[in-house]
Amino acid sequence: MNGVVEAVGVSKWYGEVLGLNAFTASFGKGITGLVGPNGAGKSTLFKLLIGQLHSDQGKITLLGENPWNNVPLKRRLGYCPEQNQLYGWLTGQQFVETLLRLDGMPAAESRKEATAALKVVGLSSAAHRPTRGYSRGMRQRAKLAQALAHHPEILILDEPLSGADPAGRVHILRTISEFAKDGGHVLMSTHVLYEIERVTNNIVLIHNGKAIASGNIHAIRALIDTHPHAVRIETSKPRQLAQALARMEHLVSFEFPAADTLLVRTRKPDAFYRELPQIVSDTKLDVRGLESPDDSLDAVFRYLVG
Amino acid sequence: MSITLPTYSRLEIPLLGRRQRVWAIIATGLRKELRRPAAIVVMALGAAFTTITSIAILFIATIIPSGQAPNLTFFSGPASNFFVLFFVSLMASVIGAGLIADDLQSMAFTLYLSRPITQLDYLLAKAAILAPLVAMVTILPLLLAALVAAFLGFFSWTIALEAMGISIVVGGLLTLFYTAITLFLSSLSRRKGIAGAGVFAVNFGLTIPAEVLTIVIGNRSILYLSPWDNYVAVATAAFGASSTGIDWAVALAILLGVTVLAALVTYVRMKAVEVITG
Amino acid sequence: MLVETAGLTKVFGEVRAVDDLTVKIPDGAIGLVGPNGAGKTTFLRLLLSLLRPTAGTAKVLGRDIEDGLAVRERIGYMPEHDCLIPDMTGVGLVSYMGRVSGLDRDTAMSRSHDVLQFVGVEEERYRKVAEYSTGMKQKVKLAQAMVHDPQLYIFDEPTTGLDPRGRSEMLDLVGTIAKSPGRNVILSSHLLPDVETICKYIVILDGGHQIAAGELSQLLSGATDRLRIDVRGDRDAFARLLKDAGFDADAGPSGLHVSRKPGLEAAVFETAKSLGAEVRYMGKEIRSLEELFLELVARTEKPGA
Repeated sequence: MNGVVEAVGVSKWYGEVLGLNAFTASFGKGITGLVGPNGAGKSTLFKLLIGQLHSDQGKITLLGENPWNNVPLKRRLGYCPEQNQLYGWLTGQQFVETLLRLDGMPAAESRKEATAALKVVGLSSAAHRPTRGYSRGMRQRAKLAQALAHHPEILILDEPLSGADPAGRVHILRTISEFAKDGGHVLMSTHVLYEIERVTNNIVLIHNGKAIASGNIHAIRALIDTHPHAVRIETSKPRQLAQALARMEHLVSFEFPAADTLLVRTRKPDAFYRELPQIVSDTKLDVRGLESPDDSLDAVFRYLVG
Repeated sequence: MSITLPTYSRLEIPLLGRRQRVWAIIATGLRKELRRPAAIVVMALGAAFTTITSIAILFIATIIPSGQAPNLTFFSGPASNFFVLFFVSLMASVIGAGLIADDLQSMAFTLYLSRPITQLDYLLAKAAILAPLVAMVTILPLLLAALVAAFLGFFSWTIALEAMGISIVVGGLLTLFYTAITLFLSSLSRRKGIAGAGVFAVNFGLTIPAEVLTIVIGNRSILYLSPWDNYVAVATAAFGASSTGIDWAVALAILLGVTVLAALVTYVRMKAVEVITG
Repeated sequence: MLVETAGLTKVFGEVRAVDDLTVKIPDGAIGLVGPNGAGKTTFLRLLLSLLRPTAGTAKVLGRDIEDGLAVRERIGYMPEHDCLIPDMTGVGLVSYMGRVSGLDRDTAMSRSHDVLQFVGVEEERYRKVAEYSTGMKQKVKLAQAMVHDPQLYIFDEPTTGLDPRGRSEMLDLVGTIAKSPGRNVILSSHLLPDVETICKYIVILDGGHQIAAGELSQLLSGATDRLRIDVRGDRDAFARLLKDAGFDADAGPSGLHVSRKPGLEAAVFETAKSLGAEVRYMGKEIRSLEELFLELVARTEKPGA
C-alpha cells in the first residue's frame, strides 16, 4: 500500500447515474495515464482525488491522506480541469497570480512564481494579454501554469491536450515529462492514446466505473491471452522463415499479408522474442524489419473495452 | 464495430435548383410549426378570436344607427381590431422568435451556409415560414368577416369583395412589417426569449405609451412612434373612413421604411455571422 | 487540381489571416495543418465561398469560388463544433440537409438512410439528435456532409471530444471516404499522426502563408537512412558490440539508432543471439510529420514570439 493513489472499493453515484463503482486500484508513481470511454468515471475519480466530491462508499487516499475536507493536501496538488473557460477579463499573469494568492502566497512571491510558471509552459509573451483572446491551446497552457505554479507534488490533469495545436501539445507533454523527472507525480487523462504512450508506459484503464487494468502497458498486453500477440516480420523469404519458426510450440498462426511480410501470432511473446535471434542467425534469412502492431495501448484498449 | 460497411452509394441524379432548396426549408419549417402544440394553440385561438370579434365589430357597426348606409368605411372597424395586435405579438414571439435565434444557438446556421444556398435564400425561406402564419391573424379574419357579413346580407357583394381586396393589401402590409421586425429581433441574439420579449416591447412598449402621451400632451404626432397606430391610420384611410388624426401617407412611409430597414439590417447581420469557428 | 489559388488574401482589420497565398493542391486526401492562428479556418471559409477574398482568386474542383453555389454543391463540410438541429431526428436532419442541397424528397430520404447506415447510426436514427451521445452526433455530422455525395469533403477536427473507440471509428470512416475513387478529402487537424495515417498530401500553413506542401512520403523522406532497434537486455553492450562490428550505433531513450549498411540486420540478430537479448522492434527510422512540422514552424517563427 504505497501508491500515490490508493482506492479501495470506492463508489460514487449521481442519483442513479454511475460515477465510480467499487473502484479499487493503487497507482500513481511518476506519470500515469488514465484512459477509458466517455462516462467511464475518469473525471469523477479526479474530483474525488482533489476533494471536490465525497465518495459514497469505500476509501480513497492521495499521497497517503484522505482528500475530503483536506485543505493542506490541496497545497500539495495541482489540478487542471477539463473545462476551457477562464476569467476572460484577467490576463494570464493575473489569472495565475490570483490563484496563487488564494493559496495564501504573499503578493510579491505570487507575482514571481506566476511569471516563472508561465515561462515554463511557454506563455511568457502572452502573459499580459487578457485570456479571452487566448486560443484553446493557450488556455490549456494557462491552466497548466496555475497547476504548476505552487510547486505541487502531484499534478492532476483532465484532458490537458485537447484543443492544443501541434506545437502546444509537444510543449505540454514536455512540461509534464520534466515535472515527473524532477520527482513529481502526474495523473493525466486523454482520449488520444498515442499521446499517453509518448510520456509513460503506466496506465489505469477505467471502464464502467471500475479499474479494469492498471500497470505497464506491455505487461497488461502480455496478460491478455485471448488475443495472441501478433508480430509482423519483414523478410524477402516469408515462407522459408515461417518454416524455420514453425517448431516454436507457442505459435498460433502464420499469415502472409504481402509478398515480403510474415505475420506470426504467438501465445508467449517473451519466449518468441527470446528464441527468434537464434533462429534468424542460424538460418541466415534476411529479416529487415520487426514490429508488433498490437503491443500498444490502442490494442490493450480495444481488447479490454471493445 | 460497425465501420466499413460499404453501403455508401453514389448519387446518380443531378441536383434540383435553388427554388426547390428554399422550398425544402419552408416546407420543413412550416411542418415543424404545425406540429408544435404551443404554435397551434396560439394560431387557432388567434384566428378564431380575431375573426369572431371582427364579425362582431362589423355587426355592431351596422345595427347602430349612424345615418349611413352600410359602406366600405365600416370595414375600418375590424381592420383596427385590437385583438390583431395582441395575437400578432403572441404569434411573433411564440413562432417567429426562434426562427433564426434557434439556428444561432445550435449553430445549425453553419450547416445551412455550407449548403448551396445564399444567406438571402435562408432569410427569405424563414420569412416565408413566418408570414403565412402571421397572415392567419392579420388577413384571414378580415376576409372571413367580409365573407360572413355578405352572406348574412349586411353588405352587398360588391362592397364585400372590394373590402376583401383592400384587406389583403393592408393586412399584407402588417404581415410584412411584423415578419421583418420579428426576424430582425430573432437574428440579434442566440436566445429566442429575448426576441420574443422584443416583439412585445415594440408593440406595447411603443403603442401604449404613445397613446397615453397623446392624451396627456394632446399632440397626436406622437402616435407616429406606434407601429400599430401607423397601421390603423393606413387601414382607415384605405377603407375611406375619417382620419385618426395622423397622416396616412407618413404612417405608410414609416411602416414601409422600418420594414425595409429591418430586413436590410438582418441581411447584413446574417452575412457577418461567424460561420466556422476553431 | 482540387484547389488552385493565386495571391489569395483575406484581411480582417489589421490581421492578414490569409496572406498572398498561392497553392496548387492535387486531388486526393489532403492534410491541412498549422498552428493556431495560421489561417486554416479562414482558408476553409474562402474555399466554401462564405468569405469574399480581399484579393486574389481561387478555384475549387475547377470552379471559381465567386460561384459559391456551384462550389458548395460539390463540398460536404463537417464543422468542428456542434451544429445539429436538436429537435430533429437523425434521419430527418440528414434528409433535410440533403433537400437543402437540392435532392428531391425521396432521394434525400433514401440516401439519408444509406449514409446513416454507412457511418453506423442504427436504430438511433429515429430518435432526436438532442438525445445523442457525442460519438453519435459526430457521426450524424459526417452523414449530413455525405448525403449529397460531394466530390470534396472538408473535415475540421473530426475527432474532437470522442473517446478512443469513437476516435478510431471516425478515423476509419474518414479513411474509407479518402480512399474511395473520385472523392477528395481535406482534413484539418492538430493530431498529426491522424493526418499522417489518412492523408497522402500535406499543406502546412503558418501566418497565412504556405510554408510547405507536398506528398507526405516526399516531405518525410530525405532523413538519414537509419534503423531504430528496440532491444530488451543489455542495451549498452548491444550498442558496443554493433560498434565493434563496424556500425555507427548509439543508444537513445527510444532504442538504438544505427545507420544502415549492408549486413546490419544480420549483425543485429547475431548480436542478440550472443548477448541473449531480445529484439522487440526493428524498423526504418522515419521522420514523423510532427518533427517536420515543428522544424518548419520554428524556422518561420518571428523572434520574440
